[in-house]
Amino acid sequence: MGKKSKLILNKRAVFVLFAFCFVFLLLTVRIGYVQFARGKDLQQKAIEQQTKDKIISSKRGIIYDRNLKVLAQSASVDTVCATPREISESKNIDTIAKNLADILEMEKEDVLKIITKKSSYEIIKRKIDPEQSEKIRELNYKGIYLTEDSKRYYPYGNFASHVIGFVGTDNQGLNGIEMVYDKYLKGVPGRIITAKNALGTDMPYKYEKYINAQNGVNVVLTIDEVIQHFVEKELEAAVEKYSVSKGAACIIMNAKTGEILAMATKPDYDLNAPFTLTNQADIDVLETLNGDERQKYLSDARNRMWRNKAVCDTYEPGSTFKTFVAAMAIEENVVKDNDTFNCPGYHVVGKWRIHCHKREGHGLETFIKGVHNSCNPVFMQVGARLGNQKFKDYYKRFGFMDATGFELPGEASGLFFSENDFNEAELATSSFGQGFNITPLQLITAMSAITNDGKMIRPRIVKELVDDEGNIVKSYESEVIRDVISKDTAKKVREILEGVVSEGTAKNAYIRGMRVAGKTGTSEKAPRGNRKYVASFLGFAPANNPEIIGLVVLDEPPADGLYMGGQIAAPTFQKIFDSTLRYLNIDPQYTEQELTQAETTVPNVEGLSVKDAEIAFDGIGLYYKIVGNGAEIISQTPKGGIIIPTESTIMLYTEENAENMVVVPNVVGKSISEANILLTNAKLNIKITGSAEGGTEAYVGSQNPEAGQSVATGTIVTVEALYKNVH
Amino acid sequence: MKKPSIFVKAGNVDFTFLIMVIIILIFGLTMMFSASSAPAHYMYEDAFYFIKRQLFFAILGLVGMYIVSQIDHNLVKKFSFPILVLTVILLILVLIIGQEIKGAKRWISIGPLSFQPSELAKYCVIIFMATSISARKKKIDRFIYDFCPYLLFCGIIAGLVFLEDHLSGAFTVFVAGMIVLFVGGAKIWHFLLFLPPVALAVIAAIAFEPYRLKRFLSFLDPFENYLGDGFQIVQSLYAIGSGGFFGLGLGQSRQKYLYIPEPHNDFIFPVICEELGFFGAFLLILLFVILIWRGIKIAIDAPDTFSSMVVCGIIGLIGFQVMINIAVVTGSMPVTGMPLPFFSYGGTALFFQLVAMGFVLNISRYSKDKNAIGHS
Repeated sequence: MGKKSKLILNKRAVFVLFAFCFVFLLLTVRIGYVQFARGKDLQQKAIEQQTKDKIISSKRGIIYDRNLKVLAQSASVDTVCATPREISESKNIDTIAKNLADILEMEKEDVLKIITKKSSYEIIKRKIDPEQSEKIRELNYKGIYLTEDSKRYYPYGNFASHVIGFVGTDNQGLNGIEMVYDKYLKGVPGRIITAKNALGTDMPYKYEKYINAQNGVNVVLTIDEVIQHFVEKELEAAVEKYSVSKGAACIIMNAKTGEILAMATKPDYDLNAPFTLTNQADIDVLETLNGDERQKYLSDARNRMWRNKAVCDTYEPGSTFKTFVAAMAIEENVVKDNDTFNCPGYHVVGKWRIHCHKREGHGLETFIKGVHNSCNPVFMQVGARLGNQKFKDYYKRFGFMDATGFELPGEASGLFFSENDFNEAELATSSFGQGFNITPLQLITAMSAITNDGKMIRPRIVKELVDDEGNIVKSYESEVIRDVISKDTAKKVREILEGVVSEGTAKNAYIRGMRVAGKTGTSEKAPRGNRKYVASFLGFAPANNPEIIGLVVLDEPPADGLYMGGQIAAPTFQKIFDSTLRYLNIDPQYTEQELTQAETTVPNVEGLSVKDAEIAFDGIGLYYKIVGNGAEIISQTPKGGIIIPTESTIMLYTEENAENMVVVPNVVGKSISEANILLTNAKLNIKITGSAEGGTEAYVGSQNPEAGQSVATGTIVTVEALYKNVH
Repeated sequence: MKKPSIFVKAGNVDFTFLIMVIIILIFGLTMMFSASSAPAHYMYEDAFYFIKRQLFFAILGLVGMYIVSQIDHNLVKKFSFPILVLTVILLILVLIIGQEIKGAKRWISIGPLSFQPSELAKYCVIIFMATSISARKKKIDRFIYDFCPYLLFCGIIAGLVFLEDHLSGAFTVFVAGMIVLFVGGAKIWHFLLFLPPVALAVIAAIAFEPYRLKRFLSFLDPFENYLGDGFQIVQSLYAIGSGGFFGLGLGQSRQKYLYIPEPHNDFIFPVICEELGFFGAFLLILLFVILIWRGIKIAIDAPDTFSSMVVCGIIGLIGFQVMINIAVVTGSMPVTGMPLPFFSYGGTALFFQLVAMGFVLNISRYSKDKNAIGHS
């Protein structure tokens, strides 16, 4: 080969060099494209296949009452899981299945089926008992392990069930606060990310990334556990005692802040077993059904059971609504206190003759008296003076057209006449609270405008959200919805409503020294004439400076028994308010009349000489009777420290076993004065609760101790004074 | 006439080329160790299993490189025929007594070590072609009488390799011969003339062995065939994509943990991309480009056409393998088992690569341009 060939060789060698350079440049671009343009996507996919996740469940937040008493709490329990792939290597797979089945109270075949699945993760049983956990830990099988799970506990069971709500198997909130505040309560689950090789086993080196679970935030309700208990107890008792067939609801609200202190619906259900029906009628029906029909009925029955009557159900408020018609009339100045109206027992509106609840009529009465008597013709006339437009405007301003924006699920917004259907007759019935539907919550919210000098407050049930250290994460403030009426009007309405309790149809709501104000309601359910009623009472106390508002709604008491708001709802309200006001340390404001019917504390004279005992009783307004010839008082009835009416007689014994036993006479149904005579004659002391007027109208609703019991002379018999004629 | 001697005195070796070889070798061994540690751990519970063997061949190869760099390069020309005979014998022998690994007979066991005759065949073709072409009096003008005999020769050797069921090896052997033929002055249109039959042969090879067709298709959309034939490419792309600019750090590859099949072998480049990122990949390519540039320069400055052609052949062979390897692992062409020179695990290949570098260094001693250290 010559020089020329060498020249070609050199040229071609250079060509080879450039060819390579060119291809390598292309390949560099290609690598850059894979790494930068597609890098994110590829990297993510690579990490997905290279790692395995283990979820660490977060601790669900606690639900507290306003004083941080626990209403709902989660506890750690274990869930048994399996890695079938690892178990399949074991030879005694049958024994494993058998032992697990024994501990977990399962069928061996079922366990075997789970642990032989072709997967790397299976749940055998959720939320097992600690003893079972212990046993499984002892077995220490490869591929069987326990993961931490949590279980929700409700320490008070049925308590405030419609408010608190409950959770499902995955701890997801399904009702009430548990549902609405789920996003706060549930927290953020953590993860353990472990590197794995292509076989799914661990890497030769340790690569672990631990993302902490964030515990759920705790929810502090405005509910006061003590008040809620008063409400639960009295409402339950009322449903029982008055044979209320469609359930009952009660709300207690802070009159100044709109905070709901208690909210109950009856019948209720056990939060620890929320899927178990509690209504015996439903259980009975269910027994007769099967298949799809049964499933559907069960589902409907559960939904009924879970329904929060105070928020989700609407009803015709009846006379309790007159409160707002009175407020409208006073605000619009269409009526004066002493304007007189005539009630012949009905009022004619157009071609309709609409009756008063008192068929014989109230006769001539002032506006004030009309409110006290809850006289329908008076309100029909007042409504007419207002006119349809004004009425409707105020109706809207009092919030009856809209939901209140309450936190709990399923709030209803009520139902009013359409524009064309709201005429003269509808205005007339609406003026005494019939013809439209509202929720108990709307009604109590509207009352906040009366108690709060015209400013209507938004009801709320969550006070704040706090973390585990007690730091406030979020705090909810009171919010004025709007100014509805003037301060003066509100004050005026409060005074009138106080009169309803002291002199009118709501005497059964009277509490000595507490200045209760309120309005009874007995509405007839549509369609009319079926004699199906809703008895209710809406009130607040103290009348001059309201602290709390309460509403009791009893749905369908028997029409042939006690069914009027004043008869059954007012006494229930009275009992709840009596306990609640005392619990809240509201100072009593006795009227002069109340002061004359003074009560006094029995001095403790046990162990004193007869002489000293006589000195102790000097001038305190109590009588005493010494029994026996001893020099020293050995015992006394009633005991020292008890509060009893003045002029009662205290038995003082100077000898052992000197007590005279007497049988308690029956005074239930008697008038208060009759009862007084009967008990005094039996050498017993009387203490009257309820109205202190002791007029001839009042009768004894109940007594304690009951008739027929043998008690020592001097024992106090407490009688509940009730008014029969409350309309 | 000079007195014949094995070792001859000449200038110093090309220092840049030597440095490149050393850097690439160290780089290669480091990455091979990193990539192989995972499979070595799982297969032999000894992370050093592969690197120990590779190091042994590296040392053997360095010794070979030194010796070859010092001998009279004409000896190579003289012994080209015996080398050819030896190669053919070994290529036939491997078909008879070869060790069968994964259905292919490519290795001859010698004690604890194994020898791969196809590696020798690549260099044998280069040496024999260069010897033959440099000995010619006439140019390679005629297609039938001049060009085709070379083609036939390369075809026969490649064919023997192909019988080992080693398509990529056969292809490499053939390409090595073609590079020598190309720089040896064969006419361009002669090459173009035999392109269609080669293309046909490739298509035929694919058609007869369905797994090759599957492989071919999987390259087009590896994610589509993720659980089948696209698996390797997908895993390779995952590794490359995970690297970013600077990578996860040396030894930090996660894809080498059984995701990439045999990450110490053909798929070592993705591990480099994953651990050292784009930076590492670019560095690797740059090192090879410098090596090729320096090698071509040595070829141009070579004292005779034979050594020039051999150097071109060797450099072309290295460059070709690097090119195909990277193209395969980046999903730029169908999957074919092409190792990455100096990086992939394989003792025979590394040994011959180093010995071949020794030859290039040998020739560099005759360069007219002396930028090497020391005196001429």
